[in-house]
Formats: sequence, C-alpha cells, structure tokens
Amino acid sequence: MAEQASDLLKEYQAMAQQSWDAWTRYLQQQAGTATPFGTAAHAASGGSGDDLLARSMAAIKGYGEWLQGAVGSGLGQSGADWQQSLQHLFGSLGGQPFAHAFASIDSEAARSFGQMWQSWLQASQGAMPGARFDMEHMAAFGYTRERQLQQQALAAAMQEYLEWSGRYQALIQRANTEGFERLQAKLAELTDTTRQVESLKALYDLWVDGAEEAYAQIALSEEFRHAYGEMVNAQSRVRELQRQQLDVFCRELGMPTRSEVSALGKRLQELRREVRVGASPEAADEVAALRAEVATLKRELAGRDAPAKLPAKKPATRSAKRSMEEDEAVVRRPKPAAAVAARKSVVRGATRTRK
Amino acid sequence: MFPPFRLDPATLLGEVSAFQRKLSAGFPNLAHQPEPEYANTPREAVYREDKLTLWHMKGQGKPTAKTPTLIVYALVNTVWMTDLQEDRSLVRNLLEQGEDIYLLDWGYPDGADRWLTLDDYINGYLDRCVDAVRKAAGVEAINLLGICQGGTFSLCYAATHASKVKNLVTMVTPVDFQTPDNMLSSWSREVDVDRFVDTVGNIPAELLNWVYLTLKPVRLNQQKYVGLVDILDNPKELQNFLRMERWIFDSPDQAGEAFREFIKEFYQQNKLIKGEIVIGGKPVDLGMITQPVLNIFAEQDHLVPPDASRALGRHVGTTDYTQLAFKGGHIGIYVSSRAQREVPPAIHQWLSTRN
Repeated sequence: MAEQASDLLKEYQAMAQQSWDAWTRYLQQQAGTATPFGTAAHAASGGSGDDLLARSMAAIKGYGEWLQGAVGSGLGQSGADWQQSLQHLFGSLGGQPFAHAFASIDSEAARSFGQMWQSWLQASQGAMPGARFDMEHMAAFGYTRERQLQQQALAAAMQEYLEWSGRYQALIQRANTEGFERLQAKLAELTDTTRQVESLKALYDLWVDGAEEAYAQIALSEEFRHAYGEMVNAQSRVRELQRQQLDVFCRELGMPTRSEVSALGKRLQELRREVRVGASPEAADEVAALRAEVATLKRELAGRDAPAKLPAKKPATRSAKRSMEEDEAVVRRPKPAAAVAARKSVVRGATRTRK
Repeated sequence: MFPPFRLDPATLLGEVSAFQRKLSAGFPNLAHQPEPEYANTPREAVYREDKLTLWHMKGQGKPTAKTPTLIVYALVNTVWMTDLQEDRSLVRNLLEQGEDIYLLDWGYPDGADRWLTLDDYINGYLDRCVDAVRKAAGVEAINLLGICQGGTFSLCYAATHASKVKNLVTMVTPVDFQTPDNMLSSWSREVDVDRFVDTVGNIPAELLNWVYLTLKPVRLNQQKYVGLVDILDNPKELQNFLRMERWIFDSPDQAGEAFREFIKEFYQQNKLIKGEIVIGGKPVDLGMITQPVLNIFAEQDHLVPPDASRALGRHVGTTDYTQLAFKGGHIGIYVSSRAQREVPPAIHQWLSTRN
C-alpha cells in the first residue's frame, strides 16, 4: 500500500515537472517572437532572451518547485513528525529554498561584477610576462613599472571587494536561516484548531513574514551597515581603478576619456549658471537701479556745471553723451582694472575737449 | 495541543495541481499583453527646459480653485504614479474636486546632466516652473504639493521663496533622515558617496531599483510574483499588475552631483532638521515656513518611515500645521482603493479652506 502511494507521488511529480517544462518552453517561444528585434535586442540589453526570462521566472519557478517538494516531504501525512517534515521541506534545496528571493538580484549583480573583473584581471595577467607569480606583491620595476603598479592596485581592490561581498552574503545567509527559525516559532504558537495552517500557500506566506522580520532586524544592524558600506566602497574602488586604466588606453588611442568628458560637462554647467545669473530678473533689476542712479547723478552734475559750460554746450553734450554711454557700459559689465584706467583716460580726454 | 497544520496528502496534491493548472492556463495571457498605458489624463505642456516638462492637467470642467497647485515629484521614478490609471489617479481625483493641477515631470537625465546640483534643481528648474505656473494663472503665489523627495525639495523651496508659495502639502516626505527604522538611511551611512559618484557619474536607475527591492527582498522579489499566478486569468487585474511593474522599473537615472549632495547632506548628515542646509547660498530654515502646511504620511511606509515625516511638525514655523496619517504604504497612498476615497478629498478640503 505504502509502495503504491509512493509510486503515485513519483508519477505525480514527474507529471508536474513535465507540465512545468512544457509551459516554460512555450513561454520562451512566445518571448522569442514577441520582439521585432529578436535575439539582437536581447543581446544588446545584456543577456539572451532565455536568460532574462529565466531571471524573471525564477520567483515563480522557485515556488513551483517548493510546492512539488512539499508533496513528497511527509507534511500532512498522519504519524509524521511535522517539524522534521518542515525541516526536510525547507532544507531540500540546499537549505535555501528561496535563496534567490533574498539574494538573486544581488548575487547576479555581484557575480557578474566579480566575473567581469576576474576576466579583466586574467586578460591583463595574460598580457604581462611573469603574471603567474604572486603579482599582487611583486616589486614593480622595468619599463612597465607603472602598469604593474596599476595592476597590483586593481588586484588588491578586487580582493578587498570579494572579501566584503563574502561578508555581506554571509549576513544574507544568516537572515535566511533565522527566517526559518522564526517560521518554526510562529508555527509553534498555532496550537488550537481555529488557527491551523490549511494550505501550502498559507505556510509559504507565514515563512515570508518570518523571513522579512529576520532580514529587517539584520539589515538595520551596525554589522550590516558596515558590511554594506564597505562592499559598496570596495566596488567603487575597483571601478575607479579600472576607469583610470581605460583612460590611459583611450589617451594612447587618441580617444576622449571619461574624465575629459566629465570635466567638459562640469565647465558647461558652471558656464550655464553664470549666464543665468547674468540674465536673471534680479540682475536686470540691479542694472536698472544702477542706471537710474547714474542718470540722477549726471543730472545733478549737469545742473551744477550748467552756468560755466553754456558756451561750449553742443560739443560738450556729444562728449558727455559718449561719456555717459561709456559709464553705463561699465556698470553693465564690470571691467578689469586696465579697462577702467582706459575709460578714465577717455573721460579725461573728453574734459580736455570741453575746455 | 494540536499540530499547526490541517493538511493531508490529498489537499496538498490538489493545491499543487491547481497551481500548475493556473500557471499553464494563464501564461499564454501574459505572452499577449499589450504595453500597459497610464491614465493619460488630458494635459498641455506649458513650459519645457532641458529634460523637464511642466504639464497643465485638464479636467472635465474648469477648475473652481483660485490658486493652482503644482505637484513636485521625486527625482526617482516618474510623476505618473499620480496619474497611474483612470480609476486610480490622484490627479484626476483632484481635478474632479475642482483643483487646478500642474505636474512637474523631471524627465530622464543623461550624461549632460551629470553636474546638476540641488541648487540647479530647486532654485533653478523648480523656481522657473513655479514662475511659469504663477504667470499662467495670473497669481502671486501658488500651492505646492511635494511627494517624497519632491516634498523635501518643496520644503527647501518654501523656506527660501516664501512669497511664491501660498500653501504647502507634503506627502510621504522625509524630514528627519535618521530615524532608527530608516533602512535606506542606515545603509547609506558608511558609503563613501564621493568616491561612488566620482566613479559611476550619474546613478543608474537599475542600481537604485535593486536597492529598493532589497528593502523587502522576499516580498518584492518573490511573493509578489507568486501572487501574479492568481490573476493570470483576469485581464483587468493582469493589466493593472503590469502597469505597476512598468512604473516601478521605468525610472530615470539620477544626476550624479545632486545625488551626492542629497545623500551627504540629507541622509548622512541629517542637516535639514538641524537647519544647516544651504542651497545656492540660501540657508534653508524650516522655521521660516510660515505658510499653512498639510503633512500626509503612510503608516506602513518602508521607504520613508512615518517618524521621518512626522518630524516636520516639530520643525516647521507655521502655526497652521495639519498632519494626516494614511493606513497604507508608500505606493498605496496613491493607488489603493482606500487612497482614492480618502486622500484627494482630504487635500481638496484642506486647500479649499485656505484659498
């Protein structure tokens, strides 16, 4: 009887697996025809269609596999030890039934980042004679001395990043473990018939609650903050060193570097700000006020000098006009000292003309 | 004492079968879904500059409010959260209540915007948009409705351009950036943001999305998608789900320099509540905000904890301060059914008594 039941379960699981595989294949075919650019578009966006789809489907796939595992876990079978069944169910996939939910994006990002830099290092080492030695700690000398130092710095930075990434991952793993412990504690509280778990989905939701609680506690800890900060800083350091090397290569090829483009952008923004300040309503108001003040002063000056200047009225007015215009130009746009001196000499010249 | 489960093998098999059936039957629907549209409430562009667009939103009838309201969104994600779908639109609801609504759509920064500062955003872009709204409406001062980081910007703006702001509404706005439950703040504390920005330049949206997902990794990376299986056979629900996914992942990069300033001065040094923020040479003192203030926050907000928003009441200078706690999360405050019933009417009622 027991053997029959076991066979039934196996057959069911095989059927479920076939069903899963079938719709996954179906979806992949649909996705493949969904974009007019097909594979090229996927490749341009950083991965094949299947790969990107698999990432998007990982959550549902993980849950589907967990459900299938639950059928054979002994959970719900009379006489079975529920705690043991639970342990079996949540431990069946390497102790991390939903590890990707905790860390999939991070793992992908971290892994691809790690792989990228390891490839970079390997390529660099291949191009450098003697790289099979302990390059990181070798004394640098010879005409490639500077490049050796750069490679050493990059290798050290990469090593540091991997160390902090490892510590970060260990904390994620701890959250996963503690999440399961919290699930057990929650289940232990459900000891009356009105609060029993009646479906696998309800059990899953309870696990999610426990997992998020455990994660939140760890993620708000000083230890996590430190590991997180150091991991980001170490990754920045690696990227910074890589960019420096790229800049060197670009210069050798006569190409503009990222640093140069960035510097240009910075100067452009500074210039835009200066132009805006000059053209702002406040600046216009200030100029208008100064013009009015200058005009008032000139009127006062003209009134005071009027009786003495009457005979030379016409030429004096033309010169004074020029002088006024020059004065206003000075107000509009501050000039360097040399220009101010030149303006003064013009004014003096005008005065001589009047005489 | 009872076991925590009420499960038997037949129930388990039935649940797993049902999941497989739903998945197999529903996935073809997923493959043929069109790109979901936002609500697309009728609108007219009244001002454009660089990447930003200032939209004047059009309701069925003429607005009855005398003072227009400018919605200032965060630089992360897009302003279309406020006009997500026809029956879940803060904008439409406010228009129906008679408000005159303008939206500030910051656009998508690229390399040319790498050096934009908070001064450029607040005293530049935002100020010119406020002027454009004032001019269009023929008023001296307008209402500002700031959301999340846009709320923080609105606070800075109201404190330094008091004469142009009549009433201020802040929604899920961080003010105290270092409350103990603020995970983002904790993670940012030991990041060398100078090196980070110097290395990556503009902050990629994909990176920020990853950070937000890791705030609740299991719920946001897995549980949400397990739930998707239940709505695969419901075209309307499926479109709603996909629309939200579109909004979540359709996000702009962050201008590097503005990001650097925001993380350092607001998150790492918590200068806003200390009165130490200086933007474009103008000190930002929350005590200088004497306009009426309505502060709305979400009680289950995992991005901006309620206490981070509540702090505004202790620092703002106005004697007309109103606080509204919404039962929901950071996104639910705009798109949940409860939000449609509670939030827009509350904003309208508050504004209408101060117009």
